[in-house]
Amino acid sequence: MKGARAVVELLEKQNVEVLFGIPGGVLLPLYDSLVDSDMRHILPRHEQCGAHMADGYARVSKRPGVCIATSGPGATNLVTGVATAFMDSSPLVALTGQVATGVLGNDAFQEADSFSLMMPITKHNFRVTDPKTLPEAMKRAFLIATTGRYGPVHVDLPIDILQAEIADTDMNKEVRVPKPRRNLAGLLDSIKLLEQAERPTILVGGGVSWSRAGPEITRLAELLTAPIVTTLMAKGSVPENHPLVLGVCGMHGRQVANYALNNCDVLLAIGTRFSDRVTGRLSEFGAQTKVVHVDIDSSEIGKNVKGRVGLIGDAWTVVNALIAGLQQRKKRATWKSRILELNKECSCDFNLESNPIKPQKVIHELSKLLPDDAIVTTEVGQNQMWASHFFKCYGKRMFITSGGLGTMGFGFPAALGAKIARPESVVADIAGDGSLQMVSQEFATAMENDIPVMICLLNNGWLGMVKQWQKLFYDSRYNATNLGGSPDFVKLAEAYGAQAIRVDKHSEVTDAIRSGIKSDVPILLDFTIDPEEDVLPMTPPGKSASDWIKGRCQWKGGGE
Amino acid sequence: MEVIMMLTYDQPGVMQRVMAEFTRKKINVDTIVVGPCEMSEKSRIVISVRDRETALGVIEHLRALQEVIEADIVDHRRHEAYAIMLSRDGVCRVTGTVEEVESLIKKSQPEKYIEVVNAI
Repeated sequence: MKGARAVVELLEKQNVEVLFGIPGGVLLPLYDSLVDSDMRHILPRHEQCGAHMADGYARVSKRPGVCIATSGPGATNLVTGVATAFMDSSPLVALTGQVATGVLGNDAFQEADSFSLMMPITKHNFRVTDPKTLPEAMKRAFLIATTGRYGPVHVDLPIDILQAEIADTDMNKEVRVPKPRRNLAGLLDSIKLLEQAERPTILVGGGVSWSRAGPEITRLAELLTAPIVTTLMAKGSVPENHPLVLGVCGMHGRQVANYALNNCDVLLAIGTRFSDRVTGRLSEFGAQTKVVHVDIDSSEIGKNVKGRVGLIGDAWTVVNALIAGLQQRKKRATWKSRILELNKECSCDFNLESNPIKPQKVIHELSKLLPDDAIVTTEVGQNQMWASHFFKCYGKRMFITSGGLGTMGFGFPAALGAKIARPESVVADIAGDGSLQMVSQEFATAMENDIPVMICLLNNGWLGMVKQWQKLFYDSRYNATNLGGSPDFVKLAEAYGAQAIRVDKHSEVTDAIRSGIKSDVPILLDFTIDPEEDVLPMTPPGKSASDWIKGRCQWKGGGE
Repeated sequence: MEVIMMLTYDQPGVMQRVMAEFTRKKINVDTIVVGPCEMSEKSRIVISVRDRETALGVIEHLRALQEVIEADIVDHRRHEAYAIMLSRDGVCRVTGTVEEVESLIKKSQPEKYIEVVNAI
């Protein structure tokens, strides 16, 4: 069997259903073999979007997404998408073509050292230079991507390897990768800390989404009477209509969540890496707090927050062990009632009836109108923060966003991938006009492959988040943030054959969203929003929660 | 000084991947000794860094690498050293504990020398 055929068979054996790829000179043997395969192939209009689609697919299906790009520019275009998946621990298998091993390193046409390029942004990567190792590399790629902490794996495939003969003995070789070591030596100490805590809080991170430990964590929270705060990546992993779930914390998080985070005496952090966007200034973060840190990746324990009890293991396993080990169940009535009361106080006045439309109004209506199994993706910037702050995620709803790398243009292709993974759900991308213009060519992919997603464009004509920072921290000296020359987005969508609705008045918002939900073709809702609206409240970068900028937020700061 | 010893697969790219972890963590590596070892298709990498905190900050990241089979911070009490010195009397080889070898280097003030600590 030829190498290209072997790659296709190995993909099929991994139950891969869909590939997101763009062919090229060195990938011709592979694409020829794909003709005879039943795997669905989606042709994105840019490699980066191919990776984002595979990423979105992986986040919904919890299985590795596969993207393909050719050598040289194909591989360099793929880099942003792979790095996005790496920062958010998403299982991706990225295949790139490569020039023949004979000319490798000789600056051949479309040659780039993609092996070295991908190294720091993948969990592991392979450059196959011997046909004997091709099956092993492919099998290991899928295993590594989904063992322990998930992550992207890259396989570089030179064209002569795709043309070489692969022996059956090599194809049938079994491959194993080491399982991450579990270390629960601190379990008894952790249980003791939690039992003795007066004001325990649970901080839930992206690891919980991947391990699907949400129901167990809500149970643990009820046993401990501890409020749950989530990071951006964990939004949707615990139901936000549960009284103990306070929502997203951090720079643009809900103030009650930040209050719980900063005023607890014991913090149980699960599957989170204490990003600077969550903690603010690290030295002041939880100075009085004892931290129990649960993570599947041992290198995360003590990386950002020092002085902690570390439990190394999968979130689901560890949380179940904690539940089983809890002996005393303190009531903690004061802490609970204080949190519940503060949570009530932290209701926002975002349902604004004014023109121009307030973006919060759009998100609020989306939150009300989208079905309970809807998937929301976001781009990066103000749209993302409004969505995380005001959209309520519960039931089977999912919230997909580029949290770690913050890749503008992630949401639209990720929405396409998500819709492919769960075609029965409504998929809405909450977009900004800056982000959408980075990936607007993917309307073609959506049309060609009949992927009906809804794009809710919060159009303010600015690179809003940067503008906000220029306004707040640089004395309103706006530079390079105004998006003059933007197209008419309605006409742009219609040029691709998609549906589009422009919404200028707040009274039209609900009707537009309703028709968006019903639409069976890709649809763009172009909301012209107030360009002066900022994402507030916020904790300025490098500051602690007490230095927050309030805006119109009604929260009283938790003062006595 | 802290010494980190790794057992790795012997293939292209391993050093790059290992060193990338040090680069990311802004660690200036003092010495590197690397070579094939007693096991076939495996290598040992021995790296020394300035202090213990630095070594602890990078060790779990090294362990997470697929090509690193094991990585450990070497126990101080086991330190052994080897040095080749070029002095007025010609080339001279010394082995012994770290203290012994370092005091000898200091005493004889060689023109050039290479010191290897705990490479085995």
